[in-house]
Amino acid sequence: MSIISPKERLLRVLNKESIDRPPVICPGGMMNAAVVEIMNTTGHTLPEAHHNDRLMSELSKDVQEHTGFENFGIPFCMTVEAEVLGSSIDFGTLACEPKIKKEVFPSVSEVRVENISKLLHSGRIDTIVQTGYHLSEKFPDVPVIGNLTGPISTAASIVDPMTFLKELRKDQSNAHKLLEYVSDFLVEYAKLLIDNGATLISIGDPTATGEILGPKMFEEYAVKYLNKILDGIHALKAPVIVHICGNMNTVWNLMPGIRTDALSTDALVNLKLLKESFPSLITMGNLSTYLLEFGTPEKVALQTEKLLADGIDIISPACGLSTSSSLKNIQALTGTVKEQ
Amino acid sequence: MSNNKAVLFGKLSEAVVNMDEQETVILSNEVIREELDAYDAIDQGLSHGMERAGKLYEEEEYFIPELLMCSDAMYSGINILKPHIKREGLGEKHKVVIGVVEGDTHDIGKNLVKIMLETAGFDIIDLGRDIPPQDFVNKAKETGASIIALSTLMTTTMEGMAEVIHILKRENIRDRFKVIIGGGPISQSFADKIEADGYSVNAADAVRLARRLTVSVPVAVGV
Repeated sequence: MSIISPKERLLRVLNKESIDRPPVICPGGMMNAAVVEIMNTTGHTLPEAHHNDRLMSELSKDVQEHTGFENFGIPFCMTVEAEVLGSSIDFGTLACEPKIKKEVFPSVSEVRVENISKLLHSGRIDTIVQTGYHLSEKFPDVPVIGNLTGPISTAASIVDPMTFLKELRKDQSNAHKLLEYVSDFLVEYAKLLIDNGATLISIGDPTATGEILGPKMFEEYAVKYLNKILDGIHALKAPVIVHICGNMNTVWNLMPGIRTDALSTDALVNLKLLKESFPSLITMGNLSTYLLEFGTPEKVALQTEKLLADGIDIISPACGLSTSSSLKNIQALTGTVKEQ
Repeated sequence: MSNNKAVLFGKLSEAVVNMDEQETVILSNEVIREELDAYDAIDQGLSHGMERAGKLYEEEEYFIPELLMCSDAMYSGINILKPHIKREGLGEKHKVVIGVVEGDTHDIGKNLVKIMLETAGFDIIDLGRDIPPQDFVNKAKETGASIIALSTLMTTTMEGMAEVIHILKRENIRDRFKVIIGGGPISQSFADKIEADGYSVNAADAVRLARRLTVSVPVAVGV
């Protein structure tokens, strides 16, 4: 029987202190567990909850209760930053997450820089900050994870992504300028979340994957700007998780250079090998989302046991969950970890 | 004359691999000045370079930024040479309807497949992203396509691919088109499960797959 609260367990892991068993979490943002099955049961639904702090709080609680994940994760999308920075957003449906309808700038050379304080009072930022505050006050034992979209992904959400990726090589000066701007904004957003009850920050940067960027661009841009943001968050005395999607073989040796507290990876990555290669890294992941949608509870439990046996520090899904993932499968994941 | 041709086409290929848009423009203009065959210059010069770039991508030397710049270099040259292509005796190209399935907006992979298939001589109808299954079928019918190519990066939207095949069966036209699929969560076993005609792991592989599937298929003439 454990007397450690979920919040304490997660903080202890991130601080490299001893614990009874790994926490099992689903951070939120791009990796959230607001599946259709839960929303149809409780009636607290998306897309409404994207815009309303009371609904967002209730949905967060529903998710935590029904799935067994040991955290709250807000928001339920990756479009908050792009929206305040100017891109147009399609807010999606019950089953389909919000997406970028149109990136606001055609090129890194045409980015209009806004005042960051002004940005922080726009869009849905206040909604999310309020939600974090409610949840942290009402449920002090459960960690509130505030989610940021990473710098590369945010940049690729406000400049046409195909052009942006080319301009990483073609127009380096303006690419760097854009990423400085985006990073400064993200640090201030993180500060707002932390000051209002977020226990920690999780940064999801799918576009920053080694698969897309390759080692040269990864080092020049992804590592540099992630670290800028990580240093900013650490200065606020809060821990951080970074999630990067995809196959990381080409940037394997660059991963320990990311100054994150925990690194969360996709199913393709051999987390056990990562941990062995870099013992000081706190590993998080990486149960296949394919398994969570199409598998059986038995298979999920088996795969979870493997992750536990491999000594993975924080157990979580590998990437964004399908909204039609079954609760039974998700509960097999969380249940297996808690039985440990 | 033929030596000059080989040298020039070789330089075109090199310029694409070197991501040098200015150079492909200069060289393409030289092709025209020398009155060399524009189609051959594209095929043996620019496309040849793009294929080499695709190979470097498969070998993990080039990544997306590099590949996109190579394709820019290629297209800059193509834009100059295209008006000078002699029309006769070229033969019809197989058409491919491509897009990202409904609910998903990740289109980098799809864009790469489009570039590589065009390079390989297919005629691409790009529907874009977030495309309902019925639209794929409708456009394929309308254009007499040989292949429907479906892309998704998300687990949630994979079912859309099965839906396209379901619609084709329901309209009794399943045999008229080859359906190929790709994307992060996609696998050969998923392709088998939904009875797709093929799965490719990356853009270069998509070219091999598309060629294999159309080698004995006549090009549909009109509708």
